Amino acid sequence: MINALKHLRPFLGFVVLLVVWQVGVRLANFPEYILPAPTVILARLWATRNEQLYHLFVATGFTTVVGLALALVVGVLMALAVVYIKPLKAMIMPLLAAFNSIPKIAVAPLLVIWFGLGAETKIVLAFLLSVFPIFVNSITGLGEIEADVLDLSRLSGGTPWRIFLKVRLINAVPYITDALRIAFPLALVGSIVGEFIAGNVGAGYLVLSGQFNLDTPLVFAALLCITLFATLGITLIGLLENHFVTWKHSTRRR
Amino acid sequence: MVTIEGLKKSFGEVTAIGDMSFNVANHEFLSIVGPSGCGKSTALRVIAGLTEPTAGKVLVRGAEVRGPIKDVGMVFQAPVLLPWRSVLTNVLFPIEMRGERRSKYQAKALELIKLAGLEGFENHAPYQLSGGMQQRVAICRALVSSPQLLLMDEPFGALDIMTRERMGFELQKIWSVGRQTVIFVTHSITEAVLLSDTIVVMSGRPGTIKKIVKVDLPRPRLASMMKDPRFVELAADVRDQIDAQWVE
Ligand SMILES: Nc1ncnc2c1ncn2[C@@H]1O[C@H](COP(=O)(O)OP(=O)(O)OP(=O)(O)O)[C@@H](O)[C@H]1O
Ligand SMILES: [Mg+2]
Repeated sequence: MINALKHLRPFLGFVVLLVVWQVGVRLANFPEYILPAPTVILARLWATRNEQLYHLFVATGFTTVVGLALALVVGVLMALAVVYIKPLKAMIMPLLAAFNSIPKIAVAPLLVIWFGLGAETKIVLAFLLSVFPIFVNSITGLGEIEADVLDLSRLSGGTPWRIFLKVRLINAVPYITDALRIAFPLALVGSIVGEFIAGNVGAGYLVLSGQFNLDTPLVFAALLCITLFATLGITLIGLLENHFVTWKHSTRRR
Repeated sequence: MVTIEGLKKSFGEVTAIGDMSFNVANHEFLSIVGPSGCGKSTALRVIAGLTEPTAGKVLVRGAEVRGPIKDVGMVFQAPVLLPWRSVLTNVLFPIEMRGERRSKYQAKALELIKLAGLEGFENHAPYQLSGGMQQRVAICRALVSSPQLLLMDEPFGALDIMTRERMGFELQKIWSVGRQTVIFVTHSITEAVLLSDTIVVMSGRPGTIKKIVKVDLPRPRLASMMKDPRFVELAADVRDQIDAQWVE
């Protein structure tokens, strides 16, 4: 029972916020198109639920997850290249750092020219936004192994492949899950920005169409869906991490 | 087993080891003592083939060392355990690195863990162990493949005096059965006299050999022997070599 209450605690803040919001809007008598009350938003959400789910999962969720998956694969592979081919690091890092300082969102129109109005543009945007943190963290996770551990492995007859599998890769897992926690919301931003500028699907598109029609409750309803989706994703990553990574948190605890 | 000839090692400007030559016979227990920074760890790393010497050479089993040597157990100054592995799988780590099946050495590993007084902790993670227990895991790990050569870099350095003494006797017991060739770095003169056949006393940086002391005490060495006049004499001899450096 006490445990159940403990799990409810994170939700308490939301409840307080919602109550204040609801009462505040009513008292201040805000027009609905400025700030709708939570109940109005929920009603709009319920009315548009099928639409919302469709846009969220068929478009936004799909492009986010695909973009993130691509970023994971490419980010880790690039990190591997940099870790194993030392001269590459000096060559590639300044380039990537420069590249990363370009605001990717500003590149979005260019991507539309290259990849069109469909899912590809959003996937590429999601990928571009999320690949860098994964790449950087993977370099640390794969590359920064205690020198003594590597010496020990070599003395025991460890081949580079075995050292990769049993030391580097496992060492990198918590770094990668950490990176995913940052990269997932970034990928989501990429998808939504893509939807803002091109096409007519996705949660971003719903937000935009709400804005066009001055349907502010719809804007909020879509935002709520996006937030729930982001929370869902981060929770999943956290669950994965708890399942696979028992050691990093343990050492932190000490 | 190990021959070191005119070994010199510099790191850029810094000369860690000035000149070092000695032999380690098969089954010999040899200790290296000397002030901090005189190149003891470096010497072990060169012997293991983890670092190249600047000059001179090292022969292990008659062959000149080029690259990491085989059939060796190494204990570092720190435990160096993999945090994601349990005590048991940490002990079995070298077996996996050799590409052999873990199960083949499971019994051996469990036996070592028991010997090290870690029974019941086989499935614990390193963070659940004290520093001394972690170091004992590292020693088990060095022994798991039954190597004939052991390189130990202050394996008991992080332990409290009581545990340290007990571990010393445990090591003597293991050695008296396994008869490994041991090169053992320590700061403790008592420990060196208690465990060794030979003690190499080094000078401060750049490290050179001050004296090689043969310990002619009978074995097994017991705690009571520490009061033995010969023991005291040998310990004083080693101490004089080290103290003299502070005067110089
Ligand atoms: N990788 C390295 N790069 C540069 N200098 C090094 C390196 N390793 C050791 N040294 C230097 O070599 C000298 C000897 O170091 P070493 O670790 O062998 O000393 P030590 O005798 O083991 O000391 P301690 O008893 O404190 O462990 C030191 O002055 C150290 O600064
Ligand atoms: Mg040292």
